[in-house]
Amino acid sequence: MRMKTGMAGDGSTGGGSQVALVTGGYDHTIKLWQAHSGVCLRTMQHPDSQVNALEITPNGQMVAACGYQHIRMYDLASANPDPVMNFEGVTKNVTRVGFQQDGKWMYTGGEDCTAKIWDPRAGRQLQCQGIFQVPAPVNAVVLHPDQTQIMVGDQSGIIHMWDLRTDQNEQLIPEAEASIQDIAIDPEGKLMAAVNNKGNCYIWSLCGEPPRPVPRKHIQAHKKYALRCKFSLDSTMLVTTSGDCSAKVWRTSDWSLLRELRHDSQRWVWDAAFSVDSRYLFTGSSDSYARLWDVEKGTLEREYCGHQKPITALAFRDQAA
Amino acid sequence: MATYDNKIWLLKNIRDAFIATDDTGLCEIVMAGEDFSKIFQNKAVEDRKRIKEGRYKQTSVNKGKEGMGDISEDDDDREIVTQFDPYPDMEDSEDDDLMCGSYVRYDDFGGHRQRSNTAQRLDKKEQALKKAAKIKVIKWEDPAPLTSEQISEMFAKVEVKKAEKQKSLLTEQLENCPDLPHRQYLEYAKFDGTAQLGLPTKSFKIFMTMLPEKHQNYPLVVCVIANAKIKDLIGFTCYKYSIEHPEVTLGCVHNYGLCIAEEDGEVDIGFPCLDANEPCSKFGFTCLGLVDLNNKNALTHGPIHSIPDDGMLYKGLDIFPKASDSGHSHHTQPRLNTGDSTTSETVKIAIKAVSNEKKAGDTDLDKLHSHMTEPPQYKMYRVNLLRKVRTNIPVQLVISFDKIEVEPLIPHKHAFWSKSKYFLHSIDSIAWCQMLEAKASKTTFRVLYSPLHNTNYDHINLGASIFHSNATYKYHDFECDHETAKEIVDKINIILDRRNSPCRRDYKIAKEKKLQTRRSFHTKHLS
Repeated sequence: MRMKTGMAGDGSTGGGSQVALVTGGYDHTIKLWQAHSGVCLRTMQHPDSQVNALEITPNGQMVAACGYQHIRMYDLASANPDPVMNFEGVTKNVTRVGFQQDGKWMYTGGEDCTAKIWDPRAGRQLQCQGIFQVPAPVNAVVLHPDQTQIMVGDQSGIIHMWDLRTDQNEQLIPEAEASIQDIAIDPEGKLMAAVNNKGNCYIWSLCGEPPRPVPRKHIQAHKKYALRCKFSLDSTMLVTTSGDCSAKVWRTSDWSLLRELRHDSQRWVWDAAFSVDSRYLFTGSSDSYARLWDVEKGTLEREYCGHQKPITALAFRDQAA
Repeated sequence: MATYDNKIWLLKNIRDAFIATDDTGLCEIVMAGEDFSKIFQNKAVEDRKRIKEGRYKQTSVNKGKEGMGDISEDDDDREIVTQFDPYPDMEDSEDDDLMCGSYVRYDDFGGHRQRSNTAQRLDKKEQALKKAAKIKVIKWEDPAPLTSEQISEMFAKVEVKKAEKQKSLLTEQLENCPDLPHRQYLEYAKFDGTAQLGLPTKSFKIFMTMLPEKHQNYPLVVCVIANAKIKDLIGFTCYKYSIEHPEVTLGCVHNYGLCIAEEDGEVDIGFPCLDANEPCSKFGFTCLGLVDLNNKNALTHGPIHSIPDDGMLYKGLDIFPKASDSGHSHHTQPRLNTGDSTTSETVKIAIKAVSNEKKAGDTDLDKLHSHMTEPPQYKMYRVNLLRKVRTNIPVQLVISFDKIEVEPLIPHKHAFWSKSKYFLHSIDSIAWCQMLEAKASKTTFRVLYSPLHNTNYDHINLGASIFHSNATYKYHDFECDHETAKEIVDKINIILDRRNSPCRRDYKIAKEKKLQTRRSFHTKHLS
């Protein structure tokens, strides 16, 4: 009873939050863009830290940003440049942030070697917080679409599958002595991908109850450090971004390369996000630009300029038309 | 002059003169690390402290101030100014200043500080607290084990549905919004100064003079990061303009230049464009005109001679980096150099033409008002306009019910640097008028006005500026015999009281507030 409503409400869409592109990076700011025109609508302050990851709440009203010793939430609908919520008690870099699909709780992972479940209803007698300790700093955290399992990837190269209901976990080691950089699960919950600092990408099928990973494919995706991987909403594509100055889009049907997205000045590509129809892809890179690519045509459609320093994180919220 | 025995003032002026007259900029580089006036300033601080303890407060304070800012030296010589309302905090803050021993903040204000250091710090603290109060804080607490009921509630399993093919709103928006005109200037978007964290920024009013007249009604206000170069400012202006007016097609950034402009948007064609490769922080003007370089040359009479840039001069004399915020145009600054006579004549002719035109238009209005009964009649006085750096000049002060005119009586034909200026202020932009000081034969009085309210007659102002809450007020000081001064001040005050314009009301309210805070400040400390 007490836990009926979460911080992000009931999932209804807030005003002005239909389509939102949010970027953040080394210049300690978070920018909200009008995605189709490329105009920066607002700049929010993220003092004392770079932005490691951004995630828009399920109701589209707020964006969570995590950085060095900070997790903050910003109101996307108002003009307030300051955060509206501050999560305290974290040390070191917080590398990932995400939400339960109804906004009941938030999860984070960080270099303090933990993954955490946060209950934003501060001051309650009963708080539903959870913690999961691993032996190495956490680089990647992702929630399974069934909302009961969290995958935690650490710098020692282990993927921990944390079952929230039983608090049990299983481990996967795709490659020895290679740090896991990011993990993705496709929206249907059938595929899991992980990229590491050697530029390799590993793919598993998730089947059974609870889901068990079955190795499916190993791709030498990049020659250098991989940074992110993400599935498209229709599960037909996987994008991997890397320090080799490219983002690569792979077909999930046969794991062949569909597009290699490069730009002369792009440098490291830190983050990426698909549009809801899987036609467009946003990338954010070290040249302080975010870009919009037409994946079907392989063309560059828009550029987003305004950051003073590299963009290291982006979040995109689309809406079905 | 009393200031000549002040070594700080002298050193500063010599240093600034070197920097200001050196086109190559080498002087500035060479002298960058050795600002002796600053070193002496610090000595002066100690000196003041010592003298103050010896109860020679008044003299030492004035001396110290002269070193701080050449703008305020005249004012501080006049005792009466300390009683003059725009500086109520000056006396209050003396003790704070000495306790802190830091004079850095003098650089932050145009010679007139609004708030004492302590008040500012308290303000900042209060703001931080207010900000923090709005932020909800969620602290990490190590979790207690959850009951199975809680677990099933919180971590309920969701059935994963196969995603349907959806049409994206973004895709639709992109289709409805094909190529955008601002895209060609996109690279300049990063110079946007709004909402930068910890980066100094600078705002300009840019008049798009190269566009047809119907697009020139309002200046474009742009804010860029201070280290943006002039060419970046041009690019960002184009970027911003093309977003706001996508229907107007602008050309290539390289075809445009930025020229010094007056507050009414008139570009001073006698001066070359600002150097595109210089950072805009170097220039003190806030009003600039964007010109088409191809057309500009056609506008100027004869070749452009290289005149030492006013921006350099401004910077040299300007120990207050934010002075530009006051909305000064270049005419507010003294010209130490004698410019090329062709150019100066051109400028003079242009300005003369403008003043004549305005005057011609105004005579009809005057006739109308002269029919009105008693005080607010059109009346002319001969007074002296007091100026800070240059000599005082005789002017004709014309007061009527709706405006105040200041017209120089003796035109200086050859001396470019002593070129005097004609002013016209709408009476609704006048905030205050009062006597300052009565000497044996002469009396000085001050007319305070707000350029913001001067919408009818957008003229450049010679007056020094005073920061006063959010509005900026400027003033002219005049001198004449006692009787005339009294008559003028009375006359203006009668008109002001009758008009009771928003500008005057705002000023009165702000003044009242200041007095109250001062009072409460004193009561607090006494009790």
